[in-house]
Amino acid sequence: MTDSSIQPSTHLPGRLWRPIFVMTAVLLVVVVISIFIGAADVSWRSVVAGDETARAVLLRIRLPRVIVAALIGATLAVSGLAFQTLLRNPLADPFILGVSGGAACGAAISTALGLARVPGLVPIVAFASACSATAAVFLLARRHGRTDTTRLLLSGLVLNAFFSAIILIAFSLAPQSDLAAALRWMMGTLAGATWGDAVLLAVLLTMAVIVLVVTGNDLRMLAFGEDDARARGVDVERLKLIGFAIASVVTGAAVSVSGIIGFVGLLVPHLVRLIWRRDFRFLLPLCVLCGAALLVLSDLVSRIAIAPAELPVGAFTALLGVPFFISLLRSER
Amino acid sequence: MLRIQNASFAYDGADAIRNVTLEVGGGGFLMALAGPNGSGKSTLLKMIARVLRPRSGEIFFDGQKLTDWPAKDYARKIGYLPQEIDATFPMRAIDVVVSGRAAYLGRFSWETSSDYAKAEEALATCDASHLAGRFLDEMSGGERKRVFLARVLAGAPRLILLDEPFAALDIAHVQQFAFLLRGIVDRTGSTVIFAAHDLNWAAAYSDRMIVMRRGEIAVDAVPAAVMRAEVVRDLFGFEARVVDGWVVPRA
Repeated sequence: MTDSSIQPSTHLPGRLWRPIFVMTAVLLVVVVISIFIGAADVSWRSVVAGDETARAVLLRIRLPRVIVAALIGATLAVSGLAFQTLLRNPLADPFILGVSGGAACGAAISTALGLARVPGLVPIVAFASACSATAAVFLLARRHGRTDTTRLLLSGLVLNAFFSAIILIAFSLAPQSDLAAALRWMMGTLAGATWGDAVLLAVLLTMAVIVLVVTGNDLRMLAFGEDDARARGVDVERLKLIGFAIASVVTGAAVSVSGIIGFVGLLVPHLVRLIWRRDFRFLLPLCVLCGAALLVLSDLVSRIAIAPAELPVGAFTALLGVPFFISLLRSER
Repeated sequence: MLRIQNASFAYDGADAIRNVTLEVGGGGFLMALAGPNGSGKSTLLKMIARVLRPRSGEIFFDGQKLTDWPAKDYARKIGYLPQEIDATFPMRAIDVVVSGRAAYLGRFSWETSSDYAKAEEALATCDASHLAGRFLDEMSGGERKRVFLARVLAGAPRLILLDEPFAALDIAHVQQFAFLLRGIVDRTGSTVIFAAHDLNWAAAYSDRMIVMRRGEIAVDAVPAAVMRAEVVRDLFGFEARVVDGWVVPRA
């Protein structure tokens, strides 16, 4: 499975096309299967034949949900890759700097205040508090014009603990009737995804990928340490500011749409790295495709496992991802 | 080539470099930065490498202020090897070495086969061609050092800055590494400045020796002039004998 050739890895861009082609094919297959399988029986024949109900299920429910799943999977994987690269830490994930804690805290407080029933309010509050949480972590970690990585991680940890405390208090004060929905959101769910969500996520993901491609040559130099990167002409502080900001904003948007879906952001970058063993620039497009495929697949399983009821999708990202990950680890030399 | 004028630096108020003035010409030689731990050797190297900015004073390269050099242009002139360096994630030696070409790449361009050819040449210079396909985490300390030196050479720098290149190497590898540096200097005409806390190694492998003490330059001379019992007593504060040019403690 791992690339065991000891040939020097010349012509990297040329070598990138094949994995991209394979993963795009995998993603397409998973997406098509997901669109036609679900609680309601929808066949492509009935859609083509002009069955209005089938068409509505497909276009208004199934399709946006599958596309949102793909976009969120891609967003979390890319964001995880960016965080691991920027923090030089293999344990980093998109939520490490308080994005999820901030978002969940905002959502929990609005639930406690009985505002959860106002349509569209929880995602906005969640997004705003995710962004402010990341900004707070940054301000805490900044000293002498530099953002120290250890201080960043520590600030994220401490703030996440603080948010957990607030969430517990908010939940014990929240109206009983709103608790189930709040809990479902905390566990992550793609039910109720709309075309509007898809457009928002697509725009943000595209922006993030563009920023990361533009800064890719500098970002991959961080693998050798910040001092080394500085000596090679990289403006490390600016790079970190841009990288963390874009990764946090897209993660905040993803969390505000789907709640907290764990594991994709941690697992996918490692998975991709274990298979292809290359630097940041190479892994970026593959994270987009693998993250999307994993979450679409996880969502499919969570929908059909005990249909018509749904299981938390976050559980299946781990249930599907971990065995694959372990087999990769074991197949290493 | 390099001129440092009254440069100072402080970490959190503690002076690390105090009013250092120094001139280093071009043309293929090895210069040692010696001195006890905490004397400012690493800080001085970092300032030359533009990792740290002097709090006061100026550094010039080819007559132009360091701050006026476009970052990537300056990065092509120098090669800096920190004391401790590793890759966050497993990487092949050839990929590590070719990343030494980074300052030559445009924003969207990736390394070409000519960059890989230069990387392979640098590996060969460092006697490490056989390591090209191996992963860093499968190598010994000495092999890893050679790979990272090759990474520095791949950038074809005129000034090479090495922070404690001999640390963590056994005596045979120290000899081998020093021999390698001499070969590079002779062949490419680039200048090497290396920091070494070990006075003997600093003297044995350099043409010019700077001894630092508490952030200042205490001595700037040829090694033979530094390796004298009274100089060592002044600088390091211990009674020494000099045997065949090597400083040993007085029995």
